[in-house]
Amino acid sequence: MHHVVVEQWSRRHSFVHQRDARAKLLVALALLAALATSPASPVTAVPFALLVAVGIVAARLPLVSMLKKAAVVLPFSMLFGAVEWVAGQPLAGAALLVKSYISALTVLLLVASTPQPALLRGMESLGAPRLLVLMAQTLYRYLFVISEQAQHMRLAAVCRQGSAHRSQRRAFHAAAGALAILFARSYVRAEGIHRAMAARGFAGEFHSLRPPRFTRMDAVFAGVGSAVAVLAHLLVSHA
Amino acid sequence: MHIPDNFLSTPVWLTLDGVAAPAVLWVSRRARKELDEARIPLLGVLGAFVFAAQMVNFPVGVGTSAHLLGGALLTAILGPAPAALAMTAIIATQAFVFQDGGVLALGANVFNMALAGVLAAWLPLRLFAGRRSVGLFLAGFFSVMMSAGLALAELTFSGIQMPSKLLALSVGLFAVGAIVEGTITLAVARAIERLNPRWTGAPVHQGSRVWAGITFAAVLVVVLGLFAASSAPDGVMRIGQWADLHARPVLAAPMADYSLPLGPLWLRRSAAALLGLCLVGGSAAAASYFLLRRRSS
Repeated sequence: MHHVVVEQWSRRHSFVHQRDARAKLLVALALLAALATSPASPVTAVPFALLVAVGIVAARLPLVSMLKKAAVVLPFSMLFGAVEWVAGQPLAGAALLVKSYISALTVLLLVASTPQPALLRGMESLGAPRLLVLMAQTLYRYLFVISEQAQHMRLAAVCRQGSAHRSQRRAFHAAAGALAILFARSYVRAEGIHRAMAARGFAGEFHSLRPPRFTRMDAVFAGVGSAVAVLAHLLVSHA
Repeated sequence: MHIPDNFLSTPVWLTLDGVAAPAVLWVSRRARKELDEARIPLLGVLGAFVFAAQMVNFPVGVGTSAHLLGGALLTAILGPAPAALAMTAIIATQAFVFQDGGVLALGANVFNMALAGVLAAWLPLRLFAGRRSVGLFLAGFFSVMMSAGLALAELTFSGIQMPSKLLALSVGLFAVGAIVEGTITLAVARAIERLNPRWTGAPVHQGSRVWAGITFAAVLVVVLGLFAASSAPDGVMRIGQWADLHARPVLAAPMADYSLPLGPLWLRRSAAALLGLCLVGGSAAAASYFLLRRRSS
């Protein structure tokens, strides 16, 4: 599956992986905001692209695979880039394309160097509502379980019916029925999960074996990272 | 409909982040009050269900297929506040984990799909509580129209110029997508009810019917306004110019001696747009309030 690779990347060891999730979140937000507020020209993105590349190398992540994964934004950006081009602003269209790609790469670097539970815990201590964080955690934990169940159901359906020899109408209702079954299975699974959690003494929050520590190194990383983002912004704005 | 980063101008994404953050806090507090503790894992698992449901293709028309978006279905199952929270979790996961939608634009995406989209889905469910099929179809329809329309408006505000023909085409496509979402929502909700009627019995009946009617009228005005704006952009532009010509002397006269600095162009434009929306929404609200009160008394 798509995301299993990123999950494995996030559990590697490097200088970037060791930093606290809050420090990385702050630096990523600073980079994104600095890029978003800089002038609309493709040249603007060059220093930011270099910064993200440095981050990827420092995190010892595979550059080419990262570049490929971030390309998921390109179809949407190309569409709007083409719209801008038709409207007579080819430069703005190109800037849109390049900047949205660099932004996606920045976010990918963040999630590929931070395990999901640590990232969510960081968001919670930065002020995200606890119920939302709990939900996002459960969602992430069961996302692949339920997606795989959906794929198995689809495979089973294809095996049973061969190729589609049915009317559109019946195929539509069959899909609706399949979703209802998937819903029923998810619902029953959620009840089981709650019983298991209650049996283990769940009282409204997840505990961690290693509570996050914001070290002096994290403070330096956050400070230097944000300062570099601001400098890059000033550089491209006045050049 | 997930807007990536760098598509929205800074004032637009900053404002929407500022609006969405406290709104999500409020929704989360409300959801916590409404839900018993046993349903907390359910919210997360149903969020995962919506993710998986988006992979199931529904055949629509010749050789094309569509998939469920899920906002309206979640609203019918969970009720408005928990559904909005579940949608927020889904959109945030899509932005961070799958780079589907921007992180700075998260506020905008949450506002469009989780807050306004769920509101637009809840209103018909509340108003057509007696005729559930109509309510479910309209819930799917309006949730998509609302989210897509808001996304389009935000992109236009941010200075992305679209030729008027393209604008009309995309609004047409949105309408088709909205009808498809309504049909799928209805079919899936009916199928779930056949398995266990208890599962879709969300408490959508609470809240004042009058206020639901008023807000629904405002939603209708926004959606119809979208059609009007896309089919006749020149007409809307002319109205805008007329209003600008006639309103400016009136507005400027009391301030002429003070030469009030009104701020940069984008601020004036956004303020004017906001004022216009408030005026339209307010008048729709007032009109429907009187109509509904007369009918119910």
